[in-house]
Amino acid sequence: MADQAKVLMPLMGEGVHEATLVKWFKQVGQKINKDEPLLEVSTDKVDTEIPAPISGVIGACFFKEGESIKVNAVIATINPDAESVAPSAHQSPMPKASLENIAPTKQDVPADSAQAVSLSTHDKSMSEKNTRMHSHGPIKSSPLVRKIAKEKGVSLRNVQGTGVNGRITKVDILDHLENAASKTNSDAVGQRIPENTHEGTPKLITTFDAGGEYLEGVKVRREKMTQMRRLIAQHMVQSVKTSPHVTTTFEIDMVKFVSLREKFKEEFRQKAGFNLTYTAFITHAVVQVLKRYPLLNVSVDGDDILFKDDINIGVAVALENGLIVPVLKQAQYLNLSGVAKGVNDLVMRARTKKLMPDDVKGGTFSITNPGLFGSLFSNPIINQPQVAMLSVGAIVKRPVVIEDMIAIRPMCYFGITFDHRIVDGEGGARFLKDLKEFIEMYDENPIF
Amino acid sequence: MQTQTYDLVVIGSGPGGEVGAIRAAQLGMKVALVEKAAHLGGTCLNVGCIPTKSLLASVTHFVKLQHSEELGFKTGKISFDWSKIMERKEKIVGGNRNGLLFLMKKNKIDIHWGVGSLKSATEVEVVGKDGVTLTLKTKHVLLATGSQVAELPFAQANHRNILTSDSILFIDHVPESLAVVGGGVVGVEFASLFARFGSKVTIIELADQILPYEDAETVSELVKYFRKQGIEIETSTRLNKLDDHGDKGVDVFTEGKEKRSFKKVLLSIGRKPVTENIGLEKLKVKTEKGFISVDSHYRTNVPSVFAIGDIINTPALAHTASAEAIHAVEVMAGHEPQVINYEANPSAVYSYPEIASIGKTEEQLKKSSTPYKIGKFPFAPMAKAKIEGATEGFVKILFDPKYGELLGVHIVGAKATEMIAEFVVAKNLETTVEELAASIHPHPTLSEVAMEAAHAALGGAIHL
Repeated sequence: MADQAKVLMPLMGEGVHEATLVKWFKQVGQKINKDEPLLEVSTDKVDTEIPAPISGVIGACFFKEGESIKVNAVIATINPDAESVAPSAHQSPMPKASLENIAPTKQDVPADSAQAVSLSTHDKSMSEKNTRMHSHGPIKSSPLVRKIAKEKGVSLRNVQGTGVNGRITKVDILDHLENAASKTNSDAVGQRIPENTHEGTPKLITTFDAGGEYLEGVKVRREKMTQMRRLIAQHMVQSVKTSPHVTTTFEIDMVKFVSLREKFKEEFRQKAGFNLTYTAFITHAVVQVLKRYPLLNVSVDGDDILFKDDINIGVAVALENGLIVPVLKQAQYLNLSGVAKGVNDLVMRARTKKLMPDDVKGGTFSITNPGLFGSLFSNPIINQPQVAMLSVGAIVKRPVVIEDMIAIRPMCYFGITFDHRIVDGEGGARFLKDLKEFIEMYDENPIF
Repeated sequence: MQTQTYDLVVIGSGPGGEVGAIRAAQLGMKVALVEKAAHLGGTCLNVGCIPTKSLLASVTHFVKLQHSEELGFKTGKISFDWSKIMERKEKIVGGNRNGLLFLMKKNKIDIHWGVGSLKSATEVEVVGKDGVTLTLKTKHVLLATGSQVAELPFAQANHRNILTSDSILFIDHVPESLAVVGGGVVGVEFASLFARFGSKVTIIELADQILPYEDAETVSELVKYFRKQGIEIETSTRLNKLDDHGDKGVDVFTEGKEKRSFKKVLLSIGRKPVTENIGLEKLKVKTEKGFISVDSHYRTNVPSVFAIGDIINTPALAHTASAEAIHAVEVMAGHEPQVINYEANPSAVYSYPEIASIGKTEEQLKKSSTPYKIGKFPFAPMAKAKIEGATEGFVKILFDPKYGELLGVHIVGAKATEMIAEFVVAKNLETTVEELAASIHPHPTLSEVAMEAAHAALGGAIHL
């Protein structure tokens, strides 16, 4: 009989130290094949499935649904099939789950802000500002806590305080030490995201009687927000507090896109194996024009502006019960076909919950496309720490005047919402003007 | 039948209910306060903390005057007029009652005089003295009905010669002799008070130490001074019977001893929560051992009903009730106050010398095998103690040897109840003995002894 293989919690990305167990796909005693989904976990960025590293029968599951799992913790054990026993499968079966890969992070800020871009209110990423304040601001603790922390070598930045105004108390640090010891030893200096930062949700006063709970006399049912929803709420409120939002809108004739797409649709599907979408055209056009407007591809750090070498475009993908915004990396190097391929890959992996946290990180500009649902204009909230977001309306055939003649053209409203701290009205309008020209004169062949 | 609507109805106007009502009004709630007695203030103001401390102030001056020649005064024989002392006490109590009425008015709190009880989760019924019943509709209820004197089935008070802490406060003379049955805080305070006014006092205690919940070392220091003051203390002694013979006094029968006669007997065996006839059964409010069960925010199993003070199983102290009441109404208002740390909840005994403490006693630490060390410093060597004639006692700090965390602080001394406040703050902020020792204390004061005890904890008391 072979030894049991331990399934360890993989490192989900830099700065991600724990995940919440959403559900088990298999129970103890059930058979599972290699690479078959074993469980689903949720981090503050993505929901993802963790596949079985080997085939076998599940021996034990160490966490319950809803519990949080630290990186490198033993999640489950699998009694391997005779044929699938391989020595390497025993300790660190996951490609990214080996102990060697777990390096204590030296970063103070978890690199988790704003990598997921969203349609105005759908976002999973933590607020940059919150995290930063927690990380760099003064930490309230007590003399006793500081002594314990010094002796145990614990950074107080990683301890969540439950005292007055978040003060770290003896109980907090002892809890922290206990959690670190019981779950994983390697993560004792890891980040811990404050769970009670209810930036976006002030408390209401409700009343009770034997029949239940009431708000202003109306009976209510209380339900906890999911972690995703909580983070969205925080992020949206923080973004509005941080950036003065301004939106400007242009109407663009999409006839080039429509005709190119019609012309190459079939051929493209046959060669590439997936559909050529307007999203690909739009994304490609936006990237080309963004190259001329570096000020829309920045972050604001205090009184400094951080210009970014790469153009990484967040593209919204609607999911069954929410929305996720994976990031197309280094889009400045991609032609239309490359953009189409990259976007398709992200969309497919988003829909099958195969995204990793790194896939939603590092966005520098975002595109939201509520036009897919028929919307004409929208007024999105900027995905911090970015400074601009493009919103695309529905493509609608309208009568337009061209050279004093009325023609029927597929028209679409493009809006850019930008951070007025950095970009002025003129800058936003000029960007859209150039984008309009670029789209209306578009001539790239989608097949090369 | 009339009906009125409130955000909060508080039943009981003692130091819990009164404080809760004011805090709630400050937070914008419409508040009603229900009181069944003739005055606001509960036990604390009417027959507890305040009148006893008033008598205590008189006896302290009496003792000081007796020793005033040491300070260079020439006096004749010092005597007192008991009725004047009682008058002053009533004046102080009356002043505070008026103060409470003013505060209620200022905070627009409606006072409903009568017996309050829960009618439903959102209704309180008040039966007034005139028999008129009033129903108050409310979002929240704060039960703050307090406690009353506990009785012995075989030796009941008759309030002539056999008294309770309620009736002894209205005694018309200082008795020649007084037996105090029960050496808890109440018994010890009255024993100390009447002994200094000239009574021959004997404390009869069932446990093996008076003040059984206090640190044994501070109690034995107190006992030393009690004996000097002529107070007899009989521990591990069971009372069997009391026979009241009117003017001849009371025969006191204790197990294994000859009967003795005392002019008066004070029964101070403890207090019990007032939880009857307040509607708990109707709403199926959970209780345990006579106390109402609450969560760490003082909410009962009926979500709109909160309970604080002597009716829940936390220390039966006025300041504790006040803190709990503030916490409870803040929770009602949607705040998230910090859970009360009872390790930093001070206890205070107003005897002479006083005892005050926080946290664990040395006996508790031994019993739980908690490692500890002691930092102790007496008052006697300190200049201010000599100046004040307050050389009795010491400060004793029990601390964790590893991090210096305060585990318990026990003070016996003339101003112990004032001095403990420093340690309450220290404990609440998780201060360790190092920071205490490094904190500059004014010279000359009694508070220097606190700093010296911290120095002693670190192995280097200066003035010893």
